[in-house]
Amino acid sequence: MARIGICWGMLVLLLAAELAAARAGFGAAVCVAAILMVLVIVLGFMRILRGPPLAIIFALGGLFWLTILLALGSLDSFTRTVVPVAGAAAYGPVVRGGAAGQTKGG
Amino acid sequence: MSDGAVLDRHAPYETTLHRDETAIAGMWLFLASETLLFGGLFLVCLVYSQTRADGWAEGVRHTNLAIGAVNTLVLITSSAIYTMAVEAGRRGDNRRVMRFGLGAAVLGLAFLVLKGVEWGQEFSENLFPGPHFALHGPNARAAELFYSFYFLATFLHGMHMVVGIGLILWIGRKAHQGAFSAAWSTPVDVVGLYWSFVDLVWMLLFPLLYLIGRA
Amino acid sequence: MSASYLWQDGTLRSWLLTRDHKRIALLYLGSITAFFALGGIGAALIRLQLLEPAGTILSDATYNRVFTMHGVVMVWLFLVPSIPVTLGNFLVPLMLGARDLAFPRLNLVSWYLFVASGLLVLYGLFRGGLETGWTFYTPLSSDYSEGRVLPVVLGIFLNGFSSIATGVNFIVSIHQLRAPGMTWYRLPLMLWALYATSIIFVLATPVLGITLLLLAFERLFRVGVFDPTLGGDPLLFQQMFWFYSHPAVYIMILPGMGVVSEIVSTFCRKPVFGYRFVAWSSVSIAAIGFIVWGHHMFVAGESLYSAIVFSMFSFFVSVPSAIKVFNWLGTMHGGSIRLDAPMLYALGFIGLFTVGGLTGLFLASLAADVHLTQTYFVVAHFHYIMVGGMVSAYFGGLHYWWPKITGRMYPEIWGRLAAALIFFGFNLTFFPQFILGFEGMPRRYATYPAQFQVLNVLSSAGAGILAVAYVMPLVYFTWSLFRGARAPDNPWGATGLEWRTSSPPPVENFAETPVVTTDAYDYGDMDARTGVADAGGRHHV
Repeated sequence: MARIGICWGMLVLLLAAELAAARAGFGAAVCVAAILMVLVIVLGFMRILRGPPLAIIFALGGLFWLTILLALGSLDSFTRTVVPVAGAAAYGPVVRGGAAGQTKGG
Repeated sequence: MSDGAVLDRHAPYETTLHRDETAIAGMWLFLASETLLFGGLFLVCLVYSQTRADGWAEGVRHTNLAIGAVNTLVLITSSAIYTMAVEAGRRGDNRRVMRFGLGAAVLGLAFLVLKGVEWGQEFSENLFPGPHFALHGPNARAAELFYSFYFLATFLHGMHMVVGIGLILWIGRKAHQGAFSAAWSTPVDVVGLYWSFVDLVWMLLFPLLYLIGRA
Repeated sequence: MSASYLWQDGTLRSWLLTRDHKRIALLYLGSITAFFALGGIGAALIRLQLLEPAGTILSDATYNRVFTMHGVVMVWLFLVPSIPVTLGNFLVPLMLGARDLAFPRLNLVSWYLFVASGLLVLYGLFRGGLETGWTFYTPLSSDYSEGRVLPVVLGIFLNGFSSIATGVNFIVSIHQLRAPGMTWYRLPLMLWALYATSIIFVLATPVLGITLLLLAFERLFRVGVFDPTLGGDPLLFQQMFWFYSHPAVYIMILPGMGVVSEIVSTFCRKPVFGYRFVAWSSVSIAAIGFIVWGHHMFVAGESLYSAIVFSMFSFFVSVPSAIKVFNWLGTMHGGSIRLDAPMLYALGFIGLFTVGGLTGLFLASLAADVHLTQTYFVVAHFHYIMVGGMVSAYFGGLHYWWPKITGRMYPEIWGRLAAALIFFGFNLTFFPQFILGFEGMPRRYATYPAQFQVLNVLSSAGAGILAVAYVMPLVYFTWSLFRGARAPDNPWGATGLEWRTSSPPPVENFAETPVVTTDAYDYGDMDARTGVADAGGRHHV
């Protein structure tokens, strides 16, 4: 029970830290706090280290593949050369009035 | 109780420990799969929040931080309480499993109610993307994308909450029937893994939806 | 030993509520055979339409719906489940020496999910259909399509959970349920292949699920996610879609490679050459297969850096594939080869897979792809992998394990004839398409310039032969159920644990849990034990 209480306390403190960091506009600190919260849950509530060894293998596998998805999936968007087309922004505001009915029809 | 009585004819296990470890491992593998389900959403968020940063941040600034923060607290507490049910299950204390389980489920329900209130506000403020979207100006399209992400992410997470609450109620019923013992409480553990995972996903969604880009 | 799993309780209810992996495999077999026939009808209509340059029987709009139906049904309702859910479901516990899969109830749930998803997809396809192709590219699918996108997409979403359930079951079973003495390096290569396939099931399928959910959300509420007119990035859809769908290509070939490893070893009476290389090549195909998906978007406006990275990885994935092919050939070298029907299918697989794999390298090269993409070259390439490879392996596996599954032998002469006809018909259908594509005929059009007619007629003729050849096994397998000779426990003299139990196996698979003392494919040891002379004269050292 004490373990659960400590974990809960840590999560609440991290949440407070997250909110303070967000107010200060310190995005990196928000990310760090979020990752620490995830770790507290995985280690404290889900008790991954007490489970069968397979649990750790599966969790790390999931994390690894998530990294592939995020890294290679965003590579294209972050390195793309945007060729401006005359009369249109690469992406940008489009008038969505009467014309919308036609483009969004069907 | 001998193993033979616990294990049914179809179960391919030699011992109860073997069976219980397999169930736990299976749940972790399923959660790895779930990680990739939410991973697709995170990819959308990563790409759009960087390539359309201004409009995305404008969307973040319009979310209701008060409700979001309270909900985070509710979910942390719910997960902690359910973990106490898991501990009680290990001791074979059916009554505590039921009580803690109900507590966790009620908090889960509270989360959903608050979320519903928040959604209601957002609908009335025309923040749901569409022709009548509330925000205007050069960043409006990207802010609209943010709200597409916001609504789908909270919907998907909410669906997981509904499933989780259902599972917890099922555990509560079993506990009420006195199903668990110190020798066997695996379902309580497995549902606990799922419930904590749903909590964990929110710990990532909360900063993405409410915090990063706010100031 | 109790009654065989087939006849222990014959009521319909006992079949529909069964938790026996062997019965679930047969439920799946029935369902995917129906879907295979349906997808085949789609293929026949396509080939009939393309007999004449102006198109003969279908309107342009109907043609679009037909090729979409063919693709959706064949990919998700036949090829992705094919070997894993039928042969895999049947064999994983038998090969492990276990009584069942780790989660028997989940296994049954996966079949119901599959059937539900199939019905939802069929509802969409036959109440209007859709014209997006099996890839559902946005904004066509989200904004412009007049077809039934939503039911089909939601059906595929459900189908994904069926795949995930199967994948979880296989991975956990292989980790947890190996018989005493069954170490990882004693596992049959089929299990390594199914393990690798299951990694893809579990880790790629959810990304397809979320992608289709985003698409459904965009279409249903007319909101922006990928739509460029609403600020979105349509290429992001393709990135996410192919994060699943390229690994899914390996779902559609890895189990076939497993089957071929088993067959080649059995019919050469030799252990598979370089066992560990073949085993790990399965895992590395699955792993590298996850980082090549961007080669589908070389001409779609993908960034050059991204394209170079994906092109490079695509070349890497050919290495483990080549290891497999060379090791099968190494296994055959000096073996005493018997050309029974399963071996004919396996040989067909090796040849056709090699052609499909090598032409994949053309498409992975940035410059060549600009010329070849979106032509019939691509169509021929992936049909060589999926039909020439996977479907051949599926039929080979069905013939090989038919005696174990049903307790009856199929008629050997008909089996060989069908295998030869499939090989011939397949090449006649698809080889001309390489040339058509190289000469510039684009895919997915209902009409074509007259200069391409000769090759198209050849292709359609081949499709006719292929259709007959695919119907033949259906006929003689059914016949054999009633009239086939009784199968002995081990008709091929193979080494796997599945051959150590009766044909068909009893409900609990093994009278007592088998103990494994030798490597897989240890024919030297087996022949010494059973006193059979090794005709090839080569003993495993």
